[in-house]
Amino acid sequence: MNAVQYDKKLRLQLFIILCCSAIFVNIFGDYFTRFLLSEIIILSLFAMSLDFLAGRGGMISLGHAMFLGIGAYSTAILFINFNIDPFLCSLLAVVIGLIIGYLIGFIIVKTDGIFFIMITLALGEMFHSWAYTNDFLGGSDGISGILRPKLLGMDLNEPLFFSYYLLILLILVYAFLAAVTDSPLGRNLDAIRQNSGRVLSLGGSVKLYKSASFGISAAIASLAGSLYAQLNGFVSPEISHWTVSGEGLIMIIVGGIGSLSGAILGAVVVHIIQHEFSKLVDWWMLLMGGGFILVVLFLKEGLWGLILKFKNYIIENK
Amino acid sequence: MIISLQNISKSFGANNVLKNISIAIDKKECVGIIGPNGAGKSTLFKIISGSLFQDGGSIIFNDANIDKLSIEKRSRLGISQSFQSNSLFNEMTVKENIMVACSQSFKVGWELFKSLDKRTNIITKSYEIAEEVGLTEYLDFRSDNLSYGLQRQLEVGLAIANNPSLLLLDEPTAGMSNEETKNIVKMVKKLSTYYTTIIVEHDMDVIYSLAKKIYVLDSGDLIFDGTPNEVKNSKLVQERYIGIKQ
Repeated sequence: MNAVQYDKKLRLQLFIILCCSAIFVNIFGDYFTRFLLSEIIILSLFAMSLDFLAGRGGMISLGHAMFLGIGAYSTAILFINFNIDPFLCSLLAVVIGLIIGYLIGFIIVKTDGIFFIMITLALGEMFHSWAYTNDFLGGSDGISGILRPKLLGMDLNEPLFFSYYLLILLILVYAFLAAVTDSPLGRNLDAIRQNSGRVLSLGGSVKLYKSASFGISAAIASLAGSLYAQLNGFVSPEISHWTVSGEGLIMIIVGGIGSLSGAILGAVVVHIIQHEFSKLVDWWMLLMGGGFILVVLFLKEGLWGLILKFKNYIIENK
Repeated sequence: MIISLQNISKSFGANNVLKNISIAIDKKECVGIIGPNGAGKSTLFKIISGSLFQDGGSIIFNDANIDKLSIEKRSRLGISQSFQSNSLFNEMTVKENIMVACSQSFKVGWELFKSLDKRTNIITKSYEIAEEVGLTEYLDFRSDNLSYGLQRQLEVGLAIANNPSLLLLDEPTAGMSNEETKNIVKMVKKLSTYYTTIIVEHDMDVIYSLAKKIYVLDSGDLIFDGTPNEVKNSKLVQERYIGIKQ
């Protein structure tokens, strides 16, 4: 699987533009706009976790929503049953996601291609079915009553503050993933995606590298799940349905696989289209599907590729 | 002695590809393995590197039995290989290819922080390797944009990135023009003074100019071993491999 062209400077420039846009929307938006912004930031975190896995390690997970579920349910149980501070709940959700992700990764990264996709799909659906029927997890009703953290004297139940809180987390996760992407692990994942046999023959621990990246990706998805539970105040099994993983993959394909900032752009575009078109027409999914097909056919590097072409055009015509 | 193959045998179904092959190679020796198509050269090569496991016999490397070790574990012990068909990281530049290879030998491949581009020890090593394989001018070229000959040089560059104790070269001149062959022979000749080298090659002139000792395989049997001159003058080899009837 190919990733998009590697351009660190453009990646950062696009990220800064997206963050500035988020700040602008947060300052001038109303309650509903801020809620939409919060949803987009959480989906961006989820999309980045998938982008890291697919774009760097070439692993396409159709069951990654399971980790959204793990993060969301961990937060709900820790908060409701153990009365742990919501901020700490999110941190613990990240650790739980990391450990479970690494262990699952260690078992499944031996497979690749269609087999990897099917195993992740099966695992995701197993979790979804389990959550749906488990009384402790609230069954199909889920768990409600989850509160947001209070940090530095600020009550994050105020949408303005919560959006900023999410934005700070997005910046931290972006900085972390950008660092990992350029690190030896990130470059080795790139190498594995291109030619795993050669990495093995060079003495590389392909299984360790892939399991570690699966754990990292799961931890970020788990953080997104925890924040989603805090945004909505409740969690239900729908968060871990495979269609949520599918939507995440659509976001990174639209944004451009492997570009990191493109994943955020993909989350923005796909979620806004979903949100706005669904208000206008009943057949909005038809429009979404058509748009997605066009992107796959004509924009193989997604919106990132378009931006890259535009940048190169400007440089050439200077 | 750095490596010793003792009674190695391998079958694929009813087909006995290798029959009790025994070879011992000393440190800093450069040996060639030749034979007609189907002789078992590539199978033997894969068994040494760990891509395949033998059915019978043992491999002793630096006084340790490595029969059960996987390809990556053998690589970490110092057995490194270049492939018959180029096996590079095509989306990466020459420099990045070598740096990724070096990250294994420096044992930093799993590290999460500090960019690979900012690790001076790896960068320095990468430049040294690029110079050894004649790719200094092409460091920023994507590997898939290199000519075939230069890709073969990079292939060898990746193989020497982990300071191997034993370098396995599988047909390093396959598919090359005369000029490219000359370049790679010159390069391998230099490398074989630092590393114990096993070369599998079809081109007899290449083998004669590089190897100090040659093993000749035919239909899974080791039919002859000796110096290049002895191989050249062997009636058996001429008959069985070169095809000259006495």
